[in-house]
Amino acid sequence: MKYLVDLSGERVEVQLDADGATVDGTRTSAHLADVEGTSVRLVTIGGVQHRVVARRGAGKGAYTLWIDGWRFDAEALDERTRAIRELSALAAGPVGPAPVIAPMPGLIVRVHVAAGDTVQAGQGVVVMEAMKMENELRAPASGVVKAIHATPGVAVEKGSVLVEFEPQAGA
Amino acid sequence: MIRKVLIANRGEIALRIVRACQELGVRAVAVYSDADAQAPHVREADEAVHIGPAPASESYLRGDHLIAVAKQVGADAVHPGYGFLSEREWFARAVRDAGLVWIGPPAEAIAAMGSKTAARTLAISAGTPVVPGTTEPLRDAAEAAATAARFGYPVLLKAAAGGGGKGMRVVREESEIAGALASAQREAKNAFGDDAVYVEKYIEGPRHVEIQVLADAHGNCIALGERECSIQRRHQKMVEEAPSVAVTPELRQRMGDAAVAAAKAAGYVNAGTCEFLLDRHGNFYFLEMNTRIQVEHPVTELVMGIDLVQWQLRIASGERLPFTTSPEPKGWAIECRITSEDPANGFLPSTGRIAHLHLPSGPGVRWDGGIEVGSVVGLSYDPMLAKLIVFAPTREAAIARMERALKELVIDGVETSREFHLRVMADADYRAGRVDIQWLESRLPTLLAQQAPRETRQAAAIAAALLADRDRGSRRTGTPSGGSATVPGHTNGAPAPAGVAGSWAQLARLENLRRG
Repeated sequence: MKYLVDLSGERVEVQLDADGATVDGTRTSAHLADVEGTSVRLVTIGGVQHRVVARRGAGKGAYTLWIDGWRFDAEALDERTRAIRELSALAAGPVGPAPVIAPMPGLIVRVHVAAGDTVQAGQGVVVMEAMKMENELRAPASGVVKAIHATPGVAVEKGSVLVEFEPQAGA
Repeated sequence: MIRKVLIANRGEIALRIVRACQELGVRAVAVYSDADAQAPHVREADEAVHIGPAPASESYLRGDHLIAVAKQVGADAVHPGYGFLSEREWFARAVRDAGLVWIGPPAEAIAAMGSKTAARTLAISAGTPVVPGTTEPLRDAAEAAATAARFGYPVLLKAAAGGGGKGMRVVREESEIAGALASAQREAKNAFGDDAVYVEKYIEGPRHVEIQVLADAHGNCIALGERECSIQRRHQKMVEEAPSVAVTPELRQRMGDAAVAAAKAAGYVNAGTCEFLLDRHGNFYFLEMNTRIQVEHPVTELVMGIDLVQWQLRIASGERLPFTTSPEPKGWAIECRITSEDPANGFLPSTGRIAHLHLPSGPGVRWDGGIEVGSVVGLSYDPMLAKLIVFAPTREAAIARMERALKELVIDGVETSREFHLRVMADADYRAGRVDIQWLESRLPTLLAQQAPRETRQAAAIAAALLADRDRGSRRTGTPSGGSATVPGHTNGAPAPAGVAGSWAQLARLENLRRG
């Protein structure tokens, strides 16, 4: 089975067979085993052991992985699922940039933008207070502010949508 | 000797104090809020008392209630730990007035060191160097120029009502000072409605180096070497070590003497810490004194071979210090503060339940933690989960040991600062000891943008593919068909029983068929 793995922005093709994996034309043995009673998986690649902790992400094939002291956001989809995904994404037309979502419960301290403002990726848009610290939430991508659901002084729950965006005209 | 101590704190430091008490044969009484009913510090104590709801203002900060609880359980002393009520003069006084022993400095010493200006005046009177500066607002540019000439350039203009860098200007030569003063005053006026501006000497690229002092009630006060705490983010220390690469035995002696002089001037008893800025030329300047045990005390304990928390209890019981001169540090200790913050996401606090915890161990590794499997990390308290501390003969060996221990550590359930600490340990500047208090802030973007080595990325991609393959049901693990995909020692290579895991796999396959 061939998997297309998106790994923190980079795509890697992994061809799996019964007891191995082929990447970039090189095949190595590859096994996955649980370490009983823990959340640790032992992944053995070409005889080298890696302790892996994986948390399932939002969609199918999405994982956050901790391996050898590094953290990755990975999405592993087989070729067919990946193709269907990309076709249906095309059919659905362009979607707006991802909204800013409260990563934790807390209090809105400031809102730096207003509807109609153009923002750049990484620009601070909302300041939240949690654990007595102010935390700036940044726009995940460039876009135009479509709606704001955050008011200074008002508490929000984890996962609340705070700011919505639409794509920039001509983008 | 004190017989029973009420610990007015929570988390790792409460557990640390419980351990010190038990080793001295002293009974330890924990207190806990609703959020901490299941916490390790509660269970490990000899007694535990519920004190209120989760918000600290309704539990750990209710001094009068804590004193009543201490009386009620028959405690004869109160240990405040750090944070919460540890540096409140009124609480130290109220504990004493209630006939209990306060395990910390006298209320008068807390008051004397309580405000930065009071501490500064006291330090000057004790002959401890402070950053040269004025105490009256500048009248005009001529006065500013005359004062700056006296301190030597560069100087820093600073708004009296300041904060957040507003009304602040670094001035490097005399020709710039009139313009800088006018703009600092204008900015201060606009930001704070007050245009008072002071001038002080600007210390370039300083390190944060602090001296541990320990004083008994019989007039003995000694310095226990320095801690290097320059690795800070938003004024929060992230990595500490002892000794400091920048401190020679001769400088250690001078800084120790200066710290002891300041402590004596305040009538200090028990454990305390004098914080200094240390410039590139070996000049040091007193900042303030922390009148409590500090988070980073273990690095001093390891290089000095002394249990500071036990000595806090002994001193409060009236014991004399066993030495009159400062010992020299032996070996090297490093501490990483493991916090529930997500370095990949602007250090946002992360919450959740600890699903799995594997603690590093082995030679020279110490874990001072307040969490275990099942602990719920919420937003009510400080995000520090634990301190990972290592000790080795040399700094190089200590860094290697810290890297090894960080890799051994597994915390599943919340995001933590573990990966950030690994990046710091691998950084060339850090390894060479080339750091100052601005280093981390300027280095952070580079540290966090680092890419894993190619082979690690490839291993991660294969791991993700294997996980996805299993989750869609085309692969089972722990079966003979998986070859060596069993964990030695767990299944002894025997085929996995076609039990729960097998039926889940079947279900997953069915689900997949339906989706297709």
